[in-house]
Amino acid sequence: MSDAGAAPHGRETDSGLPLRPVYGPADAPAGDYAERLGDPGAYPFTRGRRPAGADGGWIQRELSGEGDSGRSNEQFRYLIAHGATGLDVIGDTPTMAWMDPDHPVSAPAVGTQGVSLCCLQDWLDLYDGLPLDRLTLSHSVPAPFAVAGLYLTARRRGVDPTLLRGSVVQAPFYCEDCGYATHMPFELRVRLAVDSIEFASRAMPRFHAFLEDTYYISDGGLDAVEEMALGFVEIRHLVRELVRRRVPVDRFAPRIAILVNFRMDFFEEIAKIRAARRLYARMMREEFGAADPRAWAVNIAAHTSGLTLTAQQPVNNVVRGATQALGLVLAGVQGIEVSTFDEAFRTPSPEGHLVAFRTQQVIALETGVTRVADPLGGSWYLESLTGRLEHRIREMIERIEAMGPPEGLCDGKWFRALFLDAMERRAHQLNAGRLVQVGVNAQQMPEAEDTLLRNVTERKIAPAAPRIERLRALRRERDAGLVAAALRAVCGAAEDRAAHLMPPLIAATEAGATIGEMAGALRAGYGRPPDPFGMVPLPW
Amino acid sequence: MVSGGRILIGMLGLDQHEVGAVTVARLLRDAGFEVVYTGRFNLPPVIVKTAGEESVDVIGLSCHSWEYLHYTDELLAGLAAAGLAIPVVLGGSVITAADRATLLAKGVAAAFGPGALPEDIIATMRRLVAAGVAPPP
Repeated sequence: MSDAGAAPHGRETDSGLPLRPVYGPADAPAGDYAERLGDPGAYPFTRGRRPAGADGGWIQRELSGEGDSGRSNEQFRYLIAHGATGLDVIGDTPTMAWMDPDHPVSAPAVGTQGVSLCCLQDWLDLYDGLPLDRLTLSHSVPAPFAVAGLYLTARRRGVDPTLLRGSVVQAPFYCEDCGYATHMPFELRVRLAVDSIEFASRAMPRFHAFLEDTYYISDGGLDAVEEMALGFVEIRHLVRELVRRRVPVDRFAPRIAILVNFRMDFFEEIAKIRAARRLYARMMREEFGAADPRAWAVNIAAHTSGLTLTAQQPVNNVVRGATQALGLVLAGVQGIEVSTFDEAFRTPSPEGHLVAFRTQQVIALETGVTRVADPLGGSWYLESLTGRLEHRIREMIERIEAMGPPEGLCDGKWFRALFLDAMERRAHQLNAGRLVQVGVNAQQMPEAEDTLLRNVTERKIAPAAPRIERLRALRRERDAGLVAAALRAVCGAAEDRAAHLMPPLIAATEAGATIGEMAGALRAGYGRPPDPFGMVPLPW
Repeated sequence: MVSGGRILIGMLGLDQHEVGAVTVARLLRDAGFEVVYTGRFNLPPVIVKTAGEESVDVIGLSCHSWEYLHYTDELLAGLAAAGLAIPVVLGGSVITAADRATLLAKGVAAAFGPGALPEDIIATMRRLVAAGVAPPP
């Protein structure tokens, strides 16, 4: 008999925790209920940050942004029309790298993997006509630029910035592996994170400017323990820096959020989220001394995993998305994004977006899984897993912090080696059959028969070439003297290591400076050539 | 150990998804090739120059964004202009079956999409290295 239908997994989780065939009362972790679990909505928030009886819903959103701002605005309207309750905007490759679309290296990548954003006009066009005070707007865009753009857009539109909700990803440590601004020195990256968080905590107090992104750590192939440990190491460093700046912890901590991944190891991923909430609550209350209960309960949003999607038999990705999204709902997260079935090949198509929303809507409206808070709480297996994961995550955090300042681990490529080894490990596991993916190394199909949904995966987004001409026109129309003075101020603030970078960055954005010019001014302030490619001079 | 051939592995443009390139570089190194790793952020003239200076047998480029659509023609033309008959292999998560046919028609020696087997990549590199070894005069 073929073993094709048998469970491929050995008796351990993806992160290597050994498992027994069945769990019982003896496996329930020791400790008092209130201290270890607590009711939903109560410290230490293992069972969720919302109290029982509260709305069990979540923000339904999908990763979006393509072409220029105008095209993305149309895309947002399509998503809202089909049920989006929030937006999640990702910048294209040049935007993520703080580079302008008219940079010679940018042209083939403009708008193909996200939206091209480089100046204030782009932000105004991006959200044109959309109710800024009624949508939650999440961003994978360089944080200071997103905070400045959103803040100025709200003011121009006559919307009070204190009403803005949403988030922006902060990724000062691991940008080598996600593509964010690899050309900024470590100290500057941390400073930009701290300054943008501090500014938003005053000017946009409902906005989560401190969104720790562990999603891409996990999607880089690192396991659940590594994902959360690296995320916590970054959170802890930024919290310490903010405290060192005398920013009260209760002012910014209630707006810290974590964006996690959810891969295919169903129970380990649920346990990871519960363990992260408990670790976070204890850390904030006992270590950082937060007094506001909202500062103990971390907001967790999630994407289903792009890494687990396969180019083979793309329809299987619909099933993977649904399985992972159900796990996220059972884990009690605040926002969900289903990575679309075509993401193995491309940025999401309209068809991919539609299936992703319908997946969330079927779970929300048809399954009844939200009727009861933390329905899996008390499961011998899950609570055991939660406790063991928490222990291992805590151990890894301590091990990393004992290795010295994070700057050395970043610049010395220690973190980077973890990512490279993880991806190689995964490739080996897949090749050796220890990791099974249906359609890849089980139940394969000849390429000629693998046609379902294939037409969608073959469509490509052309670079947004007209945008480059439009940007050149914008550059000609703006007040060159004003822009140059504003950029000089950015450079001066960067040189003065005690200065706050947000006021000059906001002023430069308002004057019409571009993201590439601001990056150049920041780099110049750190004694580096303005353009990492050495092709574009600083415009003053 | 005798080298199985010299392979340049690199990436084009702003595509920063480097793990695929590193994984393939390690795979080839372990299979006995010498790997010249150029990393990220290369434009075609740099690849052509490096390939010539390092006398590589094959150029392998990792593609996880559509930038390769823009740069492939320029790279092939640059190699021809420099008189370098070095085969170019593309590989990456965004390459579909239709893309593979397009790339082969352009003159790329081989193209690997997602799910390519390590043994196929190694065999293709060995074949290309062997084809390029000129018989002694």
